[in-house]
Amino acid sequence: MKQNNMLAMILAGGRGSRLHDLTKKVAKPAVSYGGKYRIIDFPLSNCANSGIDVVGVLTQYESILLNSYVAAGRRWGLDAKDSGVYVLPPREKSDANLDVYRGTADAISQNIDFIDTYSPEYLLILSGDHIYKMNYAKMLAYHRECRADATIAVIEVPMKEASRFGIMNTNETGRIVEFEEKPEHPKSNLASMGIYIFNWKQLRRMLLADMKDPDSSHDFGKDIIPAMLNDGGNLFAYKFKGYWKDVGTIDSLWEANMDLLDRNNELDLNDSTWKIYTEDVTALPQYIGADAVIDRAFITQGCVIDGEVHNSVLFTGAKVAAGAKVINSVLMPGAEVEEGAVVTRALVADGVRIGKNAVVGSAGSKNIELVAKRVKGDE
Amino acid sequence: MSKAFGIINFAGNHIQVDGLQSYRPVGAFSFLGRYRTIDFPISNMSNSGIDNIEVYVRRKPRSLTEHLGTGRHYNINSKRGQLNIMYTENNRIGDIYSTDVAAYIENMDCIERIHLPYVVIAPSYMIYTADYSTFLSEHIESGADISMMYHAVDNAKDAFLNCSTLNINRQKGVLSIEPNHGNAKNKNISMDTYVMSKELFIDLVKKAYKTSSMYTFADILNEECENLDIRAVSHRGYFAAICDFNSYYQANMVLTDLKHASDLFSPDWPIYTRTNDSCPTQYFEGSKVTSSVVSNGCLIEGTVENSIIGRGCVIKPGAIVKNCIISADVVIGKGVHVENLVVDKHARLIRGKRVIASPEKPGYIKRGDTL
Repeated sequence: MKQNNMLAMILAGGRGSRLHDLTKKVAKPAVSYGGKYRIIDFPLSNCANSGIDVVGVLTQYESILLNSYVAAGRRWGLDAKDSGVYVLPPREKSDANLDVYRGTADAISQNIDFIDTYSPEYLLILSGDHIYKMNYAKMLAYHRECRADATIAVIEVPMKEASRFGIMNTNETGRIVEFEEKPEHPKSNLASMGIYIFNWKQLRRMLLADMKDPDSSHDFGKDIIPAMLNDGGNLFAYKFKGYWKDVGTIDSLWEANMDLLDRNNELDLNDSTWKIYTEDVTALPQYIGADAVIDRAFITQGCVIDGEVHNSVLFTGAKVAAGAKVINSVLMPGAEVEEGAVVTRALVADGVRIGKNAVVGSAGSKNIELVAKRVKGDE
Repeated sequence: MSKAFGIINFAGNHIQVDGLQSYRPVGAFSFLGRYRTIDFPISNMSNSGIDNIEVYVRRKPRSLTEHLGTGRHYNINSKRGQLNIMYTENNRIGDIYSTDVAAYIENMDCIERIHLPYVVIAPSYMIYTADYSTFLSEHIESGADISMMYHAVDNAKDAFLNCSTLNINRQKGVLSIEPNHGNAKNKNISMDTYVMSKELFIDLVKKAYKTSSMYTFADILNEECENLDIRAVSHRGYFAAICDFNSYYQANMVLTDLKHASDLFSPDWPIYTRTNDSCPTQYFEGSKVTSSVVSNGCLIEGTVENSIIGRGCVIKPGAIVKNCIISADVVIGKGVHVENLVVDKHARLIRGKRVIASPEKPGYIKRGDTL
């Protein structure tokens, strides 16, 4: 907390229901990405690299794995004295009944007591299911410079896609004059990234009022930000440049993995000055067999490749047997493609086996095929 | 929790690995890309429930201490367990006074303070996996004074030449410990791995020190073979001793075959190492990688054949890497052809287009060198 007097709260309760079977047993922030990571490694590593020592993670949906995963704060170096990752699922309190988090703002409101124990000057609100690298210390410097009541990180999106986002309309100084949620006729292309810096004392007052408001949906985007704008608050947009992805669907998760195959891709996971930290596994290095063909791939430790891999991302412990082909696909941790099987434009879920000579997915498919159950091959 | 504490011994004066050893002790040698040789004895101990471990270092401790750190990555209980690095002052290489016995004597007060009745001793220059908990329980059951591991080999004429051999009777009693003179194919190679009571260990160390200033622990054991009940325990599976440059090269290369690797690695016996938080390896269009073991964090555009690639290496387009061990953070430049080499950390092979050694005598490229 000493470093910059800012505490981070990561909203990680999202279900991610459009990821279908991938989020049946784990929350979206715990979904695997990029060969060896889970999505929540990104905000957590960003915090660690930005000098934020205390991070609260608000979990709700299918949180067993997520809770134990983030609780090991040392994975991200967040384990020094006065530092830590706190898992914050809804809880019963002496003066309140057990209640689910009713919205993003309510998740924070229900943990005012936790935040108060650190009495930070600033509160950083993050989403646990976005993939990006960002220095929050720079955003805080901008927040201070603007003497803002709140600063919202925004990213420029193509104008024709702007109506899918929460759009910030700003004046020439960068001050937000209007916020429109998914506008039919957007006036700007600055999309909110769901990353907010607030002055804690001020936000605390607003949250206490919001909790009592029966008409509120207790959401930052729908309630808190519009209320601040109505009050004539000093809200600023902080423009972020770089890779940012909210992987809501199987197609976009696949695509975000495929982005890593590009030379000099924007996310640049190889940047040693801004590493993304994750769980340490004891798998062997990658074993590439005598007849293997690897052409454009992102492969991590524990993989064993005896067949062909084209244009694909292989996660920890994925195996491609001799004579098998993996094309334009993603193999999640422990997925196995047996002899002679062909996997095309597919995302094979954790630990799923594709049997001998089985054929999965097709080159011309409109959507990426999610393979979440064992595919039987020739026995 | 084990009834034994562990000692990991440094490589003695008989071990000389040209090149690599100028920069770090054998225990800190890179092995199979992502490991260091010392990861194997420490993981063996950790997996066997031994969580009080002393690692002896006599020279160039920097890279070893950096790698070991607090020892947390070895899955040692962070409160009850400990991984201690033990220094010695007599640390010149080749110094006849710089023996393991001298190191134990120097640190005797630490050894005496440990409240565990047994000790397991393992070397840092040998690669194998073994369960020390059965080694210990069988030792206790046998009633022997000392049990020691050996590996029966059939290539002792041209390998393991700096190692010791065990002369064993039919009852597996050790009659003597002798140097391998390379005069016979079949030998029982001593794995320098012992279990005994802490009390006996201390007695033997003190006796050795009194007898001769240049005695090693193996020397005193050899002398005591007549007086003590020393039993030999056979080891099966992968076994390598890194006692010279060639054996380092061979020990690595043989593991590029997954079949051999499965003699060393097993899913229920993890080998721990320090993570570097490298991202996965990126293979670009045009890359051609076969029969190789590749670590994370590499950018590969060229051809890699029958080689071991360390973390964070860059293999540029048109480069050919064949039968090589490439350590971490090495760059092989555009169109550079390298063959039969051990390339040390941070080296950059960019100017000379052909750096090819003979397969019988692999070459060595210095740490941080630019070629």
